[in-house]
Amino acid sequence: MTLSLAAWLPQMRDFDGGFMDTITIDAEKCTACMACELACSFAHEGAFVPTLSRIRVVRFMGEGLNVPIVCVNCARPACVEVCPTGAAHIDRSVPVVRVNAEECIGCGECVSACPFGAADFSEEKQVALICDLCDGHPACVEHCIYGALTFEPVQSLAKRKRRLAAEAYSHRDEVS
Amino acid sequence: MIRDIGAQRILNVDLSSGRIWREEVDRRDLLQFLGGRGINAKLLYERVPKGIDPLGPGNVLIFGPGTLTGTSAPSSGRTSVTCKGPATGLYLKVSVGGHLGAELKYSGHDYVAFHGQAEHPVYLWIDDEAVEIRDARHLWGLGTREADRLIREELGDNDIEVGLIGPAGENGVLFSCIIFSLYNSASRGGPGAVMGSKNLKALAIRGTGGFRLAEGEQFSELALQTREELSKDAGSESLFRWGTSGSVPALNELKMLASYNFSQVRIDDAEKLSGQYLEDEGYLTGRESCFSCSTACHRFVRSKEHPYGVVRDSGPELETMLSLGAECGIVDTEALIKSNQLCNDYGLDVISAGHVISWAMESYEKGLIKGRQADDLDLHFGNVESQLDLIRRIALREGLLGDLLANGTKHAAEEVGGDSWKWAIQAKGLEQSACDTRAAKSYALAFAVNPRGPDHLMTECYAEFGITEEARDLIRRITGDEKHADPKLLEHRSSIVRWHEDCYAATDALGFCAFTSTAAYAVNPKNMAQLFSYALGIPLSEEELMRAGRRIVTLERCFNVREGARREHDVLPWRMMNDPVPEGPTKGMVTDKVMLDGLLDEYYQMHGWDLGTGIPKRETIESLGLSGLCGDIAVD
Repeated sequence: MTLSLAAWLPQMRDFDGGFMDTITIDAEKCTACMACELACSFAHEGAFVPTLSRIRVVRFMGEGLNVPIVCVNCARPACVEVCPTGAAHIDRSVPVVRVNAEECIGCGECVSACPFGAADFSEEKQVALICDLCDGHPACVEHCIYGALTFEPVQSLAKRKRRLAAEAYSHRDEVS
Repeated sequence: MIRDIGAQRILNVDLSSGRIWREEVDRRDLLQFLGGRGINAKLLYERVPKGIDPLGPGNVLIFGPGTLTGTSAPSSGRTSVTCKGPATGLYLKVSVGGHLGAELKYSGHDYVAFHGQAEHPVYLWIDDEAVEIRDARHLWGLGTREADRLIREELGDNDIEVGLIGPAGENGVLFSCIIFSLYNSASRGGPGAVMGSKNLKALAIRGTGGFRLAEGEQFSELALQTREELSKDAGSESLFRWGTSGSVPALNELKMLASYNFSQVRIDDAEKLSGQYLEDEGYLTGRESCFSCSTACHRFVRSKEHPYGVVRDSGPELETMLSLGAECGIVDTEALIKSNQLCNDYGLDVISAGHVISWAMESYEKGLIKGRQADDLDLHFGNVESQLDLIRRIALREGLLGDLLANGTKHAAEEVGGDSWKWAIQAKGLEQSACDTRAAKSYALAFAVNPRGPDHLMTECYAEFGITEEARDLIRRITGDEKHADPKLLEHRSSIVRWHEDCYAATDALGFCAFTSTAAYAVNPKNMAQLFSYALGIPLSEEELMRAGRRIVTLERCFNVREGARREHDVLPWRMMNDPVPEGPTKGMVTDKVMLDGLLDEYYQMHGWDLGTGIPKRETIESLGLSGLCGDIAVD
């Protein structure tokens, strides 16, 4: 069984910069070491503060399942659409969603709108927390030694998934 | 709250009066004792005077994550739990993984010290700065799984961290543990009973803050580099793939697998006790990490169709497989998954649980325990049903045998009498872990001088086997030649033990897992010192770090000396000293009194401890800067 969230997430891209790599998740490989949260908070805040991390690992205690949740960089980001001040906006040069801290009024609309719980709000900083892919070099992926996080074009994921699905046919002799 | 990592705070709780107060840790103390285990040892020495009942209100139970716990340093999420131990009446430090230590740090506290005794069952809820003692009467008597679930439910947050005891701790079982984050256990020597004696069911924490480091960029870079090196280390690779029990097939092949209460060194079908078997047969469903760990040795398993129902829980590790498995003559994977779950749920240390049961089995087969005294159980080696039944009886102190075994093999053998003390695999009152100290001499010495009793979790000298290149390299650096990586040798054992003592103490103090520094070696004194320096912005050399390790070890020794422990307490279980290994390449070996005396002489000499008594000398105490603390017990 491959439990990959990215497999069912909308990954269409129509930014000006064209397609770019995205963070794909293989939850089966996640051991809940939290290195991603530490790397993220350090990259963005210069401190080890998991509650300020843009990626969070959801642990199912007692079930041995851990699922990292992070912004999937939707083609039509709901957080941007609902933001009343324009604080959450698409930076088309990268392209990622960015939050302008000065314009963010802390209404939490983006948190409500994000279908994945990937947008959060920091009490401490009074600003919305949304992944910006570290401008194309995501720290969380770099620190994930278990291979649960990958930074790749979504087409590469599609290719891997196709191969997995096709493997079912490659065993047809054993089946019949 | 985001704070400076070097500004450490102690949260004190007096359960008798309900008073809660905080203290700052002096920076000089932090440099001297490094944090975690070190500061815990200092607090215990200062706060628990000689002769206090370990299960009375005078004992202090201290939780201290490492100084680097909560950072990205690899495998640095461990917590030292320290108190006067009920199994031995001596010093007790237990190290435990999971995520609770980091959560405590993020709440703005570095240590929690529990004093006194509550009037009725309570638990402590730390919600960042808000700290509350809450009623736990409705949780008393519940297993750790159910109590953990209820606490999360009533506090309305699934993502908090909980550390708690099960019925065994409540009932004062002398080898009851404290369970962190459901899967991780502060096991040895009975810290659960100390918690239970305080009427403290649990500790629940939500921490939303974190740290700023003095030189964060350098720290983060070195931490990542160390993490990558660690994941490539031969020892680490095996721990990830098969967990700790990956070594079972090799141990059995070499006839070094403790079995049948240490009377045998191999067992048929040993592969069923291995991590390889768990993986190959489809029991393994996941690998779990402790906080910030890059090894993930922890197993998550699902049993199939056995008579006890399907179990989904944390998986049995090496010591479970050996103590409850081979030592009891049991090689049934499904049964061991169940035994492991029961021990975790009741809150029992698997090592001692296995060894009290294997002692009872040998005593039964030799006719010393029978009939009513055996609670009418069939206690032949290999009886799974009896083991499962006994785990429950011990935890609940049910029946004559359950109650007898709940006090450990030392007390049980005193009750039963005859020669049964000879196969009580204990010293100082603690059951030995399933490592044969007849055939591995650094282990023999390390186990004999271990302040909490004979096990591998204060000083792990795995390197003496020279199994990996990294291990041989370490032995060469300690002794000058890698040919000394030979466990049968008596030469150089003291220097090997002492290096590992210093390193292990520093490892615990900073919060690292001993697997990273004394089984794999990618975390070492050099990069530990460097990470400490980057984090706190205070230069600390490798030598100073190791010296701080020795200071901790010496202070722990002083605690025991003050309680009356002397050279004669530094022994091994009778069987290790008298019954030769029955077969295999180490056939005929023992660590007899003459050998042990030779090892102790050299070791005491090296430490600057008095040869006749084992008490640290005044000059030793002075040179380590410990005169103010424990100068009064030193000898000239």
